[in-house]
Amino acid sequence: MAARSSGNTAARPLPGDLAIWFFILAELLVFGVFFLAYAFARAGHVELFDHYQQTLDRTSGAVNTLVLITSSWFVVNAVSAIRANRADLCTRWLLAAMGGGAVFVAIKLHEFMAKAEAGITLSTNTFYMFYLSLTFFHFMHVLMGMVILGFVAAKAYRGDYDADHHTGVETGASYWHMVDLVWIVLFPLVYVMH
Amino acid sequence: MEYRSQSVAKLYFIAAIGLFVGQILFGLIMGLQYVWGDFLFPAIPFNVARMVHTNLLIVWLLFGFMGAAYYLVPEEAERELHSPGLAVALFWIFLIAGALTILGYLFVPYSGLAKLTMNELLPTMGREFLEQPTITKLGIVVVALGFLYNIGMTILGGRKTVVNLVLLTGLTGLALLFLFAFYNPDNLVKDKFYWWWVVHLWVEGVWELILGSILAFVLIKTTGVDREVIEKWLYVIIAMTLITGIVGTGHHYYWIGTPEYWQWWGSVFSAMEPIPFFMMTLFAFNMVNRRRREHPNQAAVLWALGTSVMAFLGAGVWGFLHTLAPVNYYTHGTQITAAHGHMAFYGAYVMIVLTIISYAMPRLRGQEAADPKAQVVEMWGFWLMTVSIVFITLFLTGAGILQVWLQRYSENPLPFMVVQEKISLFYWLREIAGLVFLVGLVVYVWSFFVKGGERRVPAAEPVA
Amino acid sequence: MVFKQTAFIAWLALCALTLVTWAIGRAGYAGPLVAGLLLLSVMIKGQVVIDVFMGLRGVRGPWHWLVSGWLVAVLSLIGVAYWTGMQT
Repeated sequence: MAARSSGNTAARPLPGDLAIWFFILAELLVFGVFFLAYAFARAGHVELFDHYQQTLDRTSGAVNTLVLITSSWFVVNAVSAIRANRADLCTRWLLAAMGGGAVFVAIKLHEFMAKAEAGITLSTNTFYMFYLSLTFFHFMHVLMGMVILGFVAAKAYRGDYDADHHTGVETGASYWHMVDLVWIVLFPLVYVMH
Repeated sequence: MEYRSQSVAKLYFIAAIGLFVGQILFGLIMGLQYVWGDFLFPAIPFNVARMVHTNLLIVWLLFGFMGAAYYLVPEEAERELHSPGLAVALFWIFLIAGALTILGYLFVPYSGLAKLTMNELLPTMGREFLEQPTITKLGIVVVALGFLYNIGMTILGGRKTVVNLVLLTGLTGLALLFLFAFYNPDNLVKDKFYWWWVVHLWVEGVWELILGSILAFVLIKTTGVDREVIEKWLYVIIAMTLITGIVGTGHHYYWIGTPEYWQWWGSVFSAMEPIPFFMMTLFAFNMVNRRRREHPNQAAVLWALGTSVMAFLGAGVWGFLHTLAPVNYYTHGTQITAAHGHMAFYGAYVMIVLTIISYAMPRLRGQEAADPKAQVVEMWGFWLMTVSIVFITLFLTGAGILQVWLQRYSENPLPFMVVQEKISLFYWLREIAGLVFLVGLVVYVWSFFVKGGERRVPAAEPVA
Repeated sequence: MVFKQTAFIAWLALCALTLVTWAIGRAGYAGPLVAGLLLLSVMIKGQVVIDVFMGLRGVRGPWHWLVSGWLVAVLSLIGVAYWTGMQT
């Protein structure tokens, strides 16, 4: 993989605003602890977890994974575009990424509604408690990410960014990648591994 | 001081210290009652002393926060306070209402107080920390609204700094959350659920915003570090506070009859509540390390650094020790709770109020910093109080561990009163430490009247 | 642009690994070897997102290893938890 794409050997600066990276680390910490709580809780109830895991809509989860990965790739392209001073392309890639987010939201809502119709709640059993908590918590972050991307897209459209000034785009992009990264762990962990 | 209207803060600070002394006296009364149950009975029974002790604490801290706001907001906003007259009026209303309430606790049997104050019209009495008659609570709301209006108008018409805005957000949150004190459901589970919306979301939520902004203000003034650097730290700290503390309320929902998932949510989120406090410690020490000047008020710097350390230990570490559900199952409602509560309140909120008083009071009295001799005495007060609180906490922790073991965890648990007898040595030791704390407080108060000494660091013009 | 090509290849790899994960899930394979393989695939996917999408590779300061460290720590501990679960 040709990583030296920026053409210089000196270390590159952190993309986006420093503050968002503190925020990202905080979010990763919370999700990390939650994932581990899930894994260790499972260790005490292996059969229960394995059994009810079978009732999850794995295909929806997999499609959602592809959707988020693709939408993350769109965001990468948006950053590339603004670095090349193409604010118009940047805006379009960002909107496409938000579209991906919207697809994720729709599929997830469908999943939640199906579970609700089956009478499943946070109190049904420990597995479902974790499944609903983890995916709902992540869902809220997808929504937040879309709001952030929306702000950035609006600014890009208005011409607020160019090749030399686009920290906002990188900041929003970094947050979205975090949302993607978390789901990349969540899907196999909750939907597949047993 | 730069703006004349900042002088209203002096009233609030003096009242705060006065009520603080009252709080400690009643704390000592209770400490003695732990080991000599009939002390002052029936004149001041334990439950009355407790109401006075806890209510005085909250009220004097509120006076402290308001004084802090009246001092720092005009300076940050770079204009005079919107209405100094209103600030003085509200001061007297709050003080008199508070005094009457305390007198009511002491001289009127509680059920009589309820009848006298027509509690039955809108019942809000009878809950821990919220024992005030409904009319007092309404008075608090009026005072809070007037205060927010005054501060808000000042900021609106002036420079809007991060410090100002975070402080205002915290204070507004404080006022709004207090409204839940009026919500008193019959269902005991709901009663307790919403009670924590006042208590937890205060001390583990919006009060941390107040703490952070005051700390940031004092650090800006005493270190001369770039405002932008300090403000960025403040943003990250309060973000961590809210991320961990809001769902972290769940650590009070383990055993009150709520669904089991709270044991998971509360444990996961509240386990991370020490993080903002840890960051405050790094923040304070880092800024002082990077200071661009030697401020003549070294006592204030000591208070600021001390606050960050003690808040982290008391709120962060001691809080963490009993926050996970499997641990809390055994420690709930024991002396472990008391140990944490005392060090947390002292370390975070008592100390931040004393920090701002340390910084502001000399300036309100016309000096950049107190005379060196006065600062030395003040620092003695700092060390005496802080070290004795550490010992109080250690003794109560010892009492708590023994209590949990004997009363809950062992093969043959013993009854409550039997265990209390067995741990009484720790209570005696705690009381002795409490007396040293009182000595520290007296020394601290005395420092305001000490003069003299040669300044090693020349008083300079304030930066930023 | 070399960077864009890298990102595209990364995207393909991520999708491929996701499909493999989904297929394993469908087939119902279980056991420590499969769990280990899944964790490994997550490690690779995560690292690709961190290095290429987040662009943390070659960034000055502790950020790259902090985020990668998170990934390694969480996945290792998940592995430990699964191993613990198999002991019962």
